[in-house]
Amino acid sequence: MNQFAIDWYLIALLIFTGLYCMLASRSLVRQLVGLEIVSKGAMLCVISAGAYSNNIVFAQAILITMIVIEVVVVATGLALLVKNFRVNGSADVWQLNGMKG
Amino acid sequence: MDKGLLAYLLIPLFSALVIPFAARGREKLADILANVTLLAGLVNLLWLALRPSVIAGGFEEIPGDGLSLLLVTAIYLVAFCVTFFSAWFVPAGMPNRRAYYSLILVSVAAMTGVVTAADFFTLYIYIEVLAVTSFALISTDDSPKGLEGALKYFLLSFPASALILGGIAVLMMTLGSLSYDNLHIFMSSDVPAGPVVFGAALMMLGFLIKSGVAPFHMWTPDAYQGAYAPVSAHLAGIVTKISGVYAVVRMASLLRFFDGRAQGLSALLMLLGLVSIAVGALAALRQTDLKRMLAFSSISQIGYIILAAGLGTPLALIGAVFHLINHATFKTVLFLNSASVEKATGTTDMDKLGGMEHAMPWTSWTSVIALFSTAGVPPLSGFWSKLLIILALWEAGLKGYAVIALLFSTVTLAYFVMMQRKVFFGKKSDAAAAATEVSAPLLAPAVLMSAAIVALGLLFPYVFSYLKMMAGRIIL
Amino acid sequence: MNYYHTLLLCATVALAVWAVMARGLLLSAVMLALVSVAVSLAFFSYGAPWAAVFELSVCAGLITVLFIGAVSLIRREESAKPENRARFHALPLVLAIFAIASWFALPPFFAELSSWIRPGTGGGQIGLALWDLRRPDLLGQVLMLAAGVFVIKSVLPGRTQK
Repeated sequence: MNQFAIDWYLIALLIFTGLYCMLASRSLVRQLVGLEIVSKGAMLCVISAGAYSNNIVFAQAILITMIVIEVVVVATGLALLVKNFRVNGSADVWQLNGMKG
Repeated sequence: MDKGLLAYLLIPLFSALVIPFAARGREKLADILANVTLLAGLVNLLWLALRPSVIAGGFEEIPGDGLSLLLVTAIYLVAFCVTFFSAWFVPAGMPNRRAYYSLILVSVAAMTGVVTAADFFTLYIYIEVLAVTSFALISTDDSPKGLEGALKYFLLSFPASALILGGIAVLMMTLGSLSYDNLHIFMSSDVPAGPVVFGAALMMLGFLIKSGVAPFHMWTPDAYQGAYAPVSAHLAGIVTKISGVYAVVRMASLLRFFDGRAQGLSALLMLLGLVSIAVGALAALRQTDLKRMLAFSSISQIGYIILAAGLGTPLALIGAVFHLINHATFKTVLFLNSASVEKATGTTDMDKLGGMEHAMPWTSWTSVIALFSTAGVPPLSGFWSKLLIILALWEAGLKGYAVIALLFSTVTLAYFVMMQRKVFFGKKSDAAAAATEVSAPLLAPAVLMSAAIVALGLLFPYVFSYLKMMAGRIIL
Repeated sequence: MNYYHTLLLCATVALAVWAVMARGLLLSAVMLALVSVAVSLAFFSYGAPWAAVFELSVCAGLITVLFIGAVSLIRREESAKPENRARFHALPLVLAIFAIASWFALPPFFAELSSWIRPGTGGGQIGLALWDLRRPDLLGQVLMLAAGVFVIKSVLPGRTQK
């Protein structure tokens, strides 16, 4: 059992928490919280992969771009959420069932 | 990054940044700028690929690996049709009109980035940009259905991104690099593949979710049905194909499926492709909404591409890429025609439509061409790509797969004939009675694309020589 | 074994569970910011200071501000229709079951994975690495920011129209 295995095990728990939140919650805000937690897990994966394979500079160069992407994605999600609230008057995902088939 | 094609990324980006300032107070200028940008790019690309000297030389002069150039041309063609259609479709005074054109141009730039990327992380960035622009495009018209589709797409697409990033981490650790070339060299060597294939499989799973293959297809019909009408053509024709299916095909060529280096992954991919063909075709049979039926048909056609990519032999990859191009042409025609029908009658519910043939002859006949191409009726282009895929399966000894693929091709014909009968033939319904053919500019994109379908089918020997050149470059 | 490091990751998981279980959305957003802070400390201890600084300023700062802004817009409606809390109270239990079940599978798998690590050359400077090796990524960042601006303009087209 080495340090790397323990780190990734804990990261797996983090990602599981985020996914559980996305599956269990009805509120769009909470789904975004879950999404954020999952993406934190993915970032930790990339940095620890870089750290353990002696590639940390490369990993950091990648991670800075990832953070920029994450900000825009979260801003988009929140904008859609606010728009949905204005149009449908709700932030509840399970009420989104206008289309079936 | 393919430097020769960089201009096709930068110029749309520049136009997108100019439009909000230049078109302030002059709405029509936004239409003109977007159309001129895309048309100029398209003419340039066609000159690059179809000069007589290039054709005579068997396309050996094409720069890069050939695949990028082909797909950039398809991207520009579909996007040009969509913006041309939008210029007459979008109502005057829509508050986010300038942002709409800017977003289409940014998505064209992002797609060009996707197909010219030479590194998995770069690929991931551009796919993310593409996803972000498509959410906003889907909900352009502020309808509740559009927002619903956009939100469902959003919530399924980002867990897929996390999978891709996990794959990137594993690949970085075990391969030491993320470039396509390194992966390709590694897979050609005799080193045991081990976790490199595991990392690739994680990424592949993410791309499969983004392309809407069968077990992960829940978001596709909602997003296509709910999307603003011209946007659904853009989305179904090219966006989801580039953001998911292209990546799968590219990875299939890099992982060298044909020499059995990643046997398990290849088998899984083929199974998913087959499931997707079946699920899409059977679900399409019992739809009542025109756009939703087209969406399920799209899932079924993606299944053919994934099946061929999973097989991974040169012939199968040629078939996969050609079917990708054909899918872009015929789905654009069908979705643009559904938008025309919606504009003329105000509905896309097939039970309320009927007898549109006399009211809308052009729309009806371009639909016939597109759906015959989808179903694989010779000599249209869709016939050749399906033939190549089925031949490749037969050649590889997978006769069962070949027979099932052939059978579901007839199911495709069945649901399309059903659709044509309900919408265009038969008795005139109340909704159709008042309808008239839409104006000529709205028909032009569908006619142009139908001409492309016929031309690609009739000039198949030239197309095949191009594709053979491309397969040689991406596999070796 | 680096205990400080392991402890940081455990704290991240605990804070994430808290963020999911928090009753109010505002508290949830604040807990998410604390998760970001813990992740950024973990980056420091991995020897990635640049990533840590970006994480701290952008994720713990900017994203939290965005979240709190959006939550304050919709909070009234959210509190009028409270969610079923049972599923959130079940989270510690479900997580514990997952943790115990995967303890026998995941660490050996990851240990196996770590034996395949191919050490890189390392070294270099972060700015040079970004500029020399990742130039297409910088173009992608520009494109992403442009896309973000247009998305906000398209989705929320000003208050004057309302």
